[in-house]
Amino acid sequence: MARDRNADVDFLGPVRRILIGFLALVLLTIFLLWRIDSPRVEQVRAGLIDRVVPNMDWAMFPVTRAAGMVENFRSYTRIYEQNQELRRELQQMKAWKEAALQLEQKNAKLLDLNQVRLNPRLTHVTGVVMADSGSPFRQSVLLNVGARDGILDGWATMDGLGLVGRISGVGQSSSRVILLTDTNSRIPVTIQPSGQRAILSGDNTAAPLLDFLESPEEVRPGDRVVSSGDGGVFPAGLLVGQVALGPDRRLRVRLSADYERLEFLRVLRSQPGERIDDPGDLVAPPDLIGPQPAAALTAGTEAADG
Amino acid sequence: MAEAVERRVWAYRGLFLLIACVALFLKLLPLRAVPSGLPWPDLLLGLTLAWVLRRPEYLPAILIAAVYLLADLLLMRPPGLWTLMVLLGTEFLRSRSTMMRELTFLMEWMMVAGVLAAMTLGMRLVLAIAMVPQAPFDMTLAQLTLTILAYPLVVIVSSYGMNVHKPATGEVDAMGRRL
Repeated sequence: MARDRNADVDFLGPVRRILIGFLALVLLTIFLLWRIDSPRVEQVRAGLIDRVVPNMDWAMFPVTRAAGMVENFRSYTRIYEQNQELRRELQQMKAWKEAALQLEQKNAKLLDLNQVRLNPRLTHVTGVVMADSGSPFRQSVLLNVGARDGILDGWATMDGLGLVGRISGVGQSSSRVILLTDTNSRIPVTIQPSGQRAILSGDNTAAPLLDFLESPEEVRPGDRVVSSGDGGVFPAGLLVGQVALGPDRRLRVRLSADYERLEFLRVLRSQPGERIDDPGDLVAPPDLIGPQPAAALTAGTEAADG
Repeated sequence: MAEAVERRVWAYRGLFLLIACVALFLKLLPLRAVPSGLPWPDLLLGLTLAWVLRRPEYLPAILIAAVYLLADLLLMRPPGLWTLMVLLGTEFLRSRSTMMRELTFLMEWMMVAGVLAAMTLGMRLVLAIAMVPQAPFDMTLAQLTLTILAYPLVVIVSSYGMNVHKPATGEVDAMGRRL
């Protein structure tokens, strides 16, 4: 019976099968192309996101705002404890504010005496978070500043207090920030009092892991973690967070940036980030490779040194 | 009569596109940047499989490929691979949709679970062969399980909310052929 039902359309079957096969082949080609020449396909992706996501801005604004209101309303239920806590903190802050004012005056006086000019390149561009990655496996957000504002790949991104992530993917008017919690994020850091170097590697949890510590016994929970500037990835000395001991007895970092509310982010105009245009080369002594573009050479020697 | 049927098919195609856009939009909303424990079930995928089994003519392969390729690009997945898996999965179910009509829902559910698992494993296998860094296995497994568990719910919503049923006896398509 099933055969009888489709008897008169059977001539369509083979043609359709060929078309489906062709479609599958196209998709596979796209994936292979992405695997082979990732930077170029990622540029196409950044361009597409740049075109699509800002158009949804008008709809996103009310929904995000409503969700924020719901969240705020939920916090009213424990308003009394919060109030008490805030009062206590305010008392402490007053003392700190006094100290900060005095230090600021002193600092201004010293700078004036020394006639110091601050580095004009250490400025920042502030952007608004437009969208997040939309996938539970990727931790990233989309900012509404891009190549138009001079953003380059690799620049550090902070909220008011601490490091949030790194720019990876720049469109004309949007750019993507890979958060420190993403599984692809690896940041060289220094742990402050002991001066130990480590790598902060995200693993899709709220507190990223401290990897490659030389002597973990010198590190105590509560120590300050700042970016170390190794490898020229980030400027040194940006606050990242505090060391904490995870439930699995491994050293993790409680991030200073408020990941619950990422709304405005500062992109530090820190240094010319290295542009990635080609999929990658062999790491070998320069005389073996022969003449190469300067960027590829420095990358090669750096990797060889490290 | 034929035009009415034709118009309904196009209306459902439009509805699918609309649902896909809304689902993408909701996923992209910047509500929380903190990694949460459990991933959400992929409800759009459940809906796609349910419709392909019930009314294959509502979801032509090219529509499925376009929607999932867009999702791949927007959601920072390796472009094309998940689309390919969805295309193969839906084609497998599509070729069996007339046979599946006689099966009970439990059988259909098991079939869909198998296809979903095969799609996920296939993607991980290709990613492993291509040496692409992957999402943690437990998270993928959790999402797969949740998607499978959510499938009956999706079917209930699509059949009572959107009136997508298996074709009844004697129903005809736009050309007047029996379905």
